[in-house]
Amino acid sequence: MTTTAGSNQLLAFIKFLRGKDVPVSPADTLDAVHAAGLLGYDDRTMLRDGLAAVLAKSTFEESTYREAFDLFFAPQQLDTETLESGNGEQPASTSENGADQDKTTTANDSAQSLEELLQNPTAQEDPTLAGLMNSALMNALQSGDESTLAMAIEAAAETAKVDEIRLFTQRGQFTRRLLDALGETALRDAAIEFEKSQPRAFEEIQRLRENLRYRARDRVERAYLVHAAGDTEDFLDDALSEVRLANISPHQMARMRKLMDRMARKLASRHGRRRQRKRRGQLNVPMTLRASVATDGIPFNTHWRQVQRKRPQIMAICDVSGSVAAYAKFLLMFLYALQDVLPRTRSFAFSSSLGEVTDWFSEFPVEEAVSRVNRVYGGATDYARAFTDFNELALQDINRATTVIILGDARNNNSDPRLDLLAEIKAKCQRLIWLNPEPRLAWGTGDSAMLKVTQHCHIATECNNLKQLERIIDTLLSAMHGN
Amino acid sequence: METTLYPQLDDVTAISTAFSEAGYICTPRIATVVYLAAALNKPILVEGPPGVGKTELAKTCAEVIAKPLVRLQCYEGLDEAKALYEWKYGKQLLYTQILKEQLGDILDGAKGLKESIQRLHSTGDVFYAKEFLEPRPLLRAMEQDDGAVLLIDEIDKADFEFESLLLEVLSDYQISIPEIGTIQARSKPMVFLTSNDTRDLSDALKRRCLHLHIPFPSIELESRIVTARVPELESHLSDQLVRFVHAIRELDLKKSPAISETLDWARSLLLLHANQLDTKLVHDTLNVLLKYEEDIVEAEGQLGKLLKIAEGL
Repeated sequence: MTTTAGSNQLLAFIKFLRGKDVPVSPADTLDAVHAAGLLGYDDRTMLRDGLAAVLAKSTFEESTYREAFDLFFAPQQLDTETLESGNGEQPASTSENGADQDKTTTANDSAQSLEELLQNPTAQEDPTLAGLMNSALMNALQSGDESTLAMAIEAAAETAKVDEIRLFTQRGQFTRRLLDALGETALRDAAIEFEKSQPRAFEEIQRLRENLRYRARDRVERAYLVHAAGDTEDFLDDALSEVRLANISPHQMARMRKLMDRMARKLASRHGRRRQRKRRGQLNVPMTLRASVATDGIPFNTHWRQVQRKRPQIMAICDVSGSVAAYAKFLLMFLYALQDVLPRTRSFAFSSSLGEVTDWFSEFPVEEAVSRVNRVYGGATDYARAFTDFNELALQDINRATTVIILGDARNNNSDPRLDLLAEIKAKCQRLIWLNPEPRLAWGTGDSAMLKVTQHCHIATECNNLKQLERIIDTLLSAMHGN
Repeated sequence: METTLYPQLDDVTAISTAFSEAGYICTPRIATVVYLAAALNKPILVEGPPGVGKTELAKTCAEVIAKPLVRLQCYEGLDEAKALYEWKYGKQLLYTQILKEQLGDILDGAKGLKESIQRLHSTGDVFYAKEFLEPRPLLRAMEQDDGAVLLIDEIDKADFEFESLLLEVLSDYQISIPEIGTIQARSKPMVFLTSNDTRDLSDALKRRCLHLHIPFPSIELESRIVTARVPELESHLSDQLVRFVHAIRELDLKKSPAISETLDWARSLLLLHANQLDTKLVHDTLNVLLKYEEDIVEAEGQLGKLLKIAEGL
């Protein structure tokens, strides 16, 4: 494969990677092209390792990258080159010539047989066939010259617009188009002509056709994976994050969990830790001196050595009663993910009695933790009891840096929800946020105490899909840091 | 792309050989990444569990290219005064005192305010001059004349803000000092950053680095490492030992033993003149390998099984 053909492939691969949710910036792309140029396309393992360093920026991304690389650069294609060129040490430009010579010699026997076969008069008289046999493509096919072949297929793929494939079912159609662009029709005609008269030549041509068809199909499938599969993934992710949580079916759980993990990680890296300089303690002389230059050496602005670290502390209370069971499952999953990335998160669950579930979340895998919570705390809602329990359990730990998030529908079966207890929490914490899965219009209808609840919260908002959830938590965390 | 500065890092195989001669057995991956880093002039961000040889990689690299190693150990609260540069403010204060005394001499005979100011200006700004600059590791690495290895160790321990400070150094090999201007690296150092993955690093930082993850080694690789590092150890014992360590990593432990612990253990066995792993020996020396009491208890409960695996049964 030449360097240009290689870098085209590389660009396509990067697009593929992006589709797999590995963020590759244009600068990374440049680096990747440089790196590939340095390493050459001959040694597959080295290329894979080298590109991994440039393109994958974390262990998590690296595993995705490795899968994608194996899928995209089908092993046999590069491996044959490695074998034939002997060693992968030479840079791409020199190895090309050397390798090509090697190949023509190694693959000569099969080519000879066909040439001999075609020494008969009929073949030479036929101008199209003679032209075909002399074409670069045929030579490449016969000699097994991978680089010419790959280039021919790339060129044909461009003519046939293979990269426009969008649906899996279009594979057959695009393979045919690609084969036509490659000039496979002439080969087919030749096969028909020889079928009776020259069985050996016929066999040989059929073998070449099969080879070509295999490669074409491979190219089309890759085009599908690169250009369509990624879009489909993105589309599914997008769609899923806008679906009401209650409507998500069990078979989408795995995808949902991936989305939640990703979201929690994103939020955590944005808000993990912040520091703030205190305005007291030991004087930072150098900094003060530097700042005083502007004021003629008089230290108006003082700087201090101590730095206060603000770590967000979140206490999340989740209603797991029957009325919100469908949401609760996801909210618990989200809490689980959040607790994983923000270590100072404490989680509580209730329907009537309330308990802390932080330890379960850190001990058990997500499914088990969630089902445990549902088993132990599921039942009929009693907010009064839950608030009482919570205040007993955790009120003393709430301070000005604490954010309390309550997830629930505020439907208390027409009994008094004891909102005075809620007011107590509000007075002590920095922020009290109520997330209600019901749409705003339904608040206050029937036994919903939501309108009254709203008065006791800093923020009360509707939250029933992943996008809303992310937005809320994001604003919440930035507000915690005071920006 | 030519790398005249570090000719030792010009070829992947050469790197492998040179590193293993220096006692660091590196996988083809590591060699490839080191090669790319030298060729592309990019820092390497090395991640992996503690004790797999992340810091050692940078040290060996310095040894191989025979350049000084400048090390910056990160910790919470590390700031620019400790990492980049610091003003020698004592000297600066002294200087202002001298300046006051000299003021009379400088201004002697000057007519009017205008001329005085002109004379003052002509003395130049010496208050914030390079002479008053105390270089810290990052600046020191930039100031090496013919290359260096800069090791920024355990970057994940530093604060988020510190990462932003690093960005200029990592991408352009320069440091901007507001009072003076920009200081370019005299020659670009090889930069290694290590991280134990205790927190996610910022995307901006990751984007500027080549990423290298060093996992626990395979049995075969670890055997080679033990042989390279503790050559005096008998080969059958070192095989036993490596198999034992690999079996122990399969257990559910608080902290799995890393390569450094394997090597410590190998050295201990050497000191004890051991020639065979047996229950008593393992029992007596397990604390070299495992650092938590509960892990030791867990491993001792399965000692028979582990020893069988170590025997190769």
